[in-house]
Amino acid sequence: MTITIREEELILAKERAIYFPKQELLAISDLHLGKTAYFRQAGVQVPSTMANQDLQRLGQLIERYAPKTLLINGDMFHHKLNSDIEAFEQWKSQYQALQFILVKGNHDRLDEIHYQQLGIQLEDPSYCTANFCFIHDALHCNEENLYPISGHLHPGISIVGKAKQYLKFPCFYFGESYAIMPAFSAFTGLYMIKPKPGEGIFAITPNQVVAV
Amino acid sequence: MQKTVGYKKIIDWLKADHKKPFDFQKEAWEYYLNGYSGIVNAPTGFGKTFSLFLAVVIEGINLDEKTKRKGKDRLQLIWITPLRSLAKDIARAMREVLAELDLEWEVAVRNGDTTSNEKLQQKKSMPEVLLITPESLHLLLAQKGSSTLFQNLKCIVADEWHELLGSKRGVLVELAISRIKGLQAKTGHPHLRVWGISATIGNIEEALDVIAPDEKEKRTIVKAQLNKKIQIKSVLPDDIETLPWAGHLGLKLAYKLLPIIKKSKTTLIFINTRGQSEMWYQHLLNIEPELAGRIAIHHGSIDYELRNWIEDSLHTGLLKAVIATSSLDLGVDFKPVDTVVQVGSPKGVARFLQRAGRSGHSPGETSKIYFLPTHALELVEAAAIKEAARENNIESREPVIMVFDTLVQYLVTLAIGDGFDEQQTYEEIKKTHAFKLLLPEEWTWLMQFITSGGSSLDAYQEFRKVVKDEGDGLWKVKSRQIAMRHRLHIGTIVSDAMLKVKFLSGGYIGMVEEYFVSKLKAGDSFTLAGRILEFVHIKDMTVIVRKSKQKKAISPSWLGGRLPLSSNLGMVLRKKYNEVLHKTHQDEELDVVYPLFLEQQARSHVPRNDELLIEVINNKEGFHLFAYPFEGRLVHEILAALVAYRLGKLIPITFSLAMNDYGFELLSDIEIPMDDAIAYEVFSPVNLTEDIKMSINATEMARRKFRDIACIAGLVFQGYPGKYVANRQLQSSAGLFFNVFSDYDKHNLLLRQAYDEVFYQQLEEPRLAAALHRIQESTIVITYPKRFTPLSFPIKVDSLRANMSSEELDQRIERMKAEVFK
Repeated sequence: MTITIREEELILAKERAIYFPKQELLAISDLHLGKTAYFRQAGVQVPSTMANQDLQRLGQLIERYAPKTLLINGDMFHHKLNSDIEAFEQWKSQYQALQFILVKGNHDRLDEIHYQQLGIQLEDPSYCTANFCFIHDALHCNEENLYPISGHLHPGISIVGKAKQYLKFPCFYFGESYAIMPAFSAFTGLYMIKPKPGEGIFAITPNQVVAV
Repeated sequence: MQKTVGYKKIIDWLKADHKKPFDFQKEAWEYYLNGYSGIVNAPTGFGKTFSLFLAVVIEGINLDEKTKRKGKDRLQLIWITPLRSLAKDIARAMREVLAELDLEWEVAVRNGDTTSNEKLQQKKSMPEVLLITPESLHLLLAQKGSSTLFQNLKCIVADEWHELLGSKRGVLVELAISRIKGLQAKTGHPHLRVWGISATIGNIEEALDVIAPDEKEKRTIVKAQLNKKIQIKSVLPDDIETLPWAGHLGLKLAYKLLPIIKKSKTTLIFINTRGQSEMWYQHLLNIEPELAGRIAIHHGSIDYELRNWIEDSLHTGLLKAVIATSSLDLGVDFKPVDTVVQVGSPKGVARFLQRAGRSGHSPGETSKIYFLPTHALELVEAAAIKEAARENNIESREPVIMVFDTLVQYLVTLAIGDGFDEQQTYEEIKKTHAFKLLLPEEWTWLMQFITSGGSSLDAYQEFRKVVKDEGDGLWKVKSRQIAMRHRLHIGTIVSDAMLKVKFLSGGYIGMVEEYFVSKLKAGDSFTLAGRILEFVHIKDMTVIVRKSKQKKAISPSWLGGRLPLSSNLGMVLRKKYNEVLHKTHQDEELDVVYPLFLEQQARSHVPRNDELLIEVINNKEGFHLFAYPFEGRLVHEILAALVAYRLGKLIPITFSLAMNDYGFELLSDIEIPMDDAIAYEVFSPVNLTEDIKMSINATEMARRKFRDIACIAGLVFQGYPGKYVANRQLQSSAGLFFNVFSDYDKHNLLLRQAYDEVFYQQLEEPRLAAALHRIQESTIVITYPKRFTPLSFPIKVDSLRANMSSEELDQRIERMKAEVFK
């Protein structure tokens, strides 16, 4: 689905990403790499194929849009270095030309040297383009002229119909003063948001992105 | 036996008190001393505790184990109780007996309320008699060195076995027994006997098979041929108009309780849910302020010390009345209690009799119970319960089998303790009733699940939980963190996240669900433990409150607790419906409800027990179809979906479904096709299994079941009220795991268990099939009332609602988008 914000075109992908054609920039948020491995180390059975699937999905997006830049809007790594991140390093090697930018999130607490070694450009607290300010938590944004695009919350929307019908989806949120991106990682929960009238909510169903 | 020292000593002691043992007690002692395991089946108040406790004492005296030993292996008897409140009382009774017999045996209680100091003491030296909950017994097994504690253990008793039998807690008991038996077998001195104490249930032989599964073992059932006299009386309204057609509080008749409370020594008032009990407490105080200080409220969410005080006050007769939920259901012996009141339908005969047994606890006394209906139709239920009680038509408790979540937890528990040998533990588990059908490949999967994470090694890199000790070859947990977290989560009762409630000035009051608190703002008031409290803030996982000046406040809605009508009761209920209009009965309740039935007959029809009534009502809300099979809410939930699905095959149609214990409703915005031929077809048992699969959202139901499974198997951590230190990096939800396994690990046994639980427990397929066969042989009566009827009204206003649609997901979203969203 294509929408226009600040006179710039944005493509909302059902794979939980936004593509900015003008900048040739693909943005995702809350990748939480290493989360599944962290759980396994703590004795909780989470298949590691999950993390691979996240990366495969990201690979498909990169092939579809052929961006110059991949921007990760915070929480790229869940905790510490582990096998999931080794897998990421290998996966990344096939995209030599692609620029990786990470806007620092609350989970991103590795030493800077690790980001350098992985070839990731670290931005703290935000990364700005002509119209937008990418920042992990929109509340911390000081750029008054730019429209903040954030992550962090893992937003979800529940649609309630007559006779107590109830459906729940991850979503994009475009409000008056800022936007929130869905968490990219499939191994994340949802924070249900309660939109006000006039705010743009785009639910991600298994097949498409729909405006609600 | 008669010649042994121990027996003589007991008889002499009883004689000195002008007592003699009941026949069933002597019988139990005899069997026990001859090496039998078994079940004692006796009504409450006839000394079933002594039928087994004294058996162990007699043997102890005979073996001259009366002198106090030192060391760890003193343990003679493990007494498992399902409720913490039971343990204290039984321990007190046991200590009194031991003191009078001049026997230096120590009796100790061990459960969630036991202080760590006491536990440490027990670790140094176990008492002879240990009273314990199933969860604490597993915690004991999770302790290092625990495998040496049971060498001299003679007997394990599972008290209130009928309560444990139908739940995963019963499986905890089975597993613990299998372990202790295995440990004794290894030392070459197996002398353990296992006994259950059970109230009468429909399947007592099966209850024996579960607790003592080895048919080659000496096993028996000891039945007390004693009949407990029970007097059942309904609290009747002066005229039927007083009672609402629907509702569940029943406060309108509360004033009629006051004379009952007044003339009784102590009254226990059973209310079905915690939330309602809070409202009843407030209401009774409002209409009779003199009760202040002489009435208390007791439920599972009230702080331990407060509960203790209430229980002590019940013993001493200080309290005139106590409002209770199922927290006081079981065999606590409060002597001063001479009257019991049941508010609202107890939904089952066994539960009703159990509660009645809380009064007149001594042998020979009559139990007195009043039934207070909360809506008009419950009067018919009252008549039905009286009849079922008279005919001893008591429900069965289906034992739980093949619960992999509980098994996963148990294996990790053993690994935290002294570790386990793969082959030996497999053999022990195969001998239990719950897992006798366990296949070798399932066992392999379970072992992989706890050691390498899952079935394919590659998919679970870096997984660490249970590892093999190269020294002794046993499977163990080496990580202290994993062990600590596991200990916090031993047990199979999964509740919503609860928070402790504490006064600003100090002092705990009880617990409320996190979900409830999340909706409160500072300054809001709510009731707990009968007090009106003002919410201040949440600090360190504790809800801080102060006393509120308000007179009225909302009650927390604790989830759960709404039980469906049992099929035994449903059957008698259908019969009672016959009798009302024909006046072929002796029940005063049915006389009171007579005008309501005339109304039902005038507007529609009163179904006989060989009829199924269908009411088709059209009004501005839409097109309603009501049907009344009287099979309980759970069966109706499935039946409604089934009928909706089958009607949906005739024409494209979307329904909203509602149900209660008597019947269900389909509501649609277009006319529902219905005539005799269609009715028999949609209620047909043909193609049942296939149609159920098509009609219910099995995935959604399994997802709900998985919530508990994920907690029990240790995938998600629910935390303890006030105790839990949050680990944010490890937060996740059961729903997420359900998706993950569905997508990435389809052969996961926990996932399969979720679907099995849906089909066997929730759908109760056999009961559903039986209901449909019965309906096929009944006459289906279709009426077209102009207005809602006394039968349909309660479903309309007081029911649980679901929906059923044949539309595609995207279509649904499109349509729902147009509607209001939250």
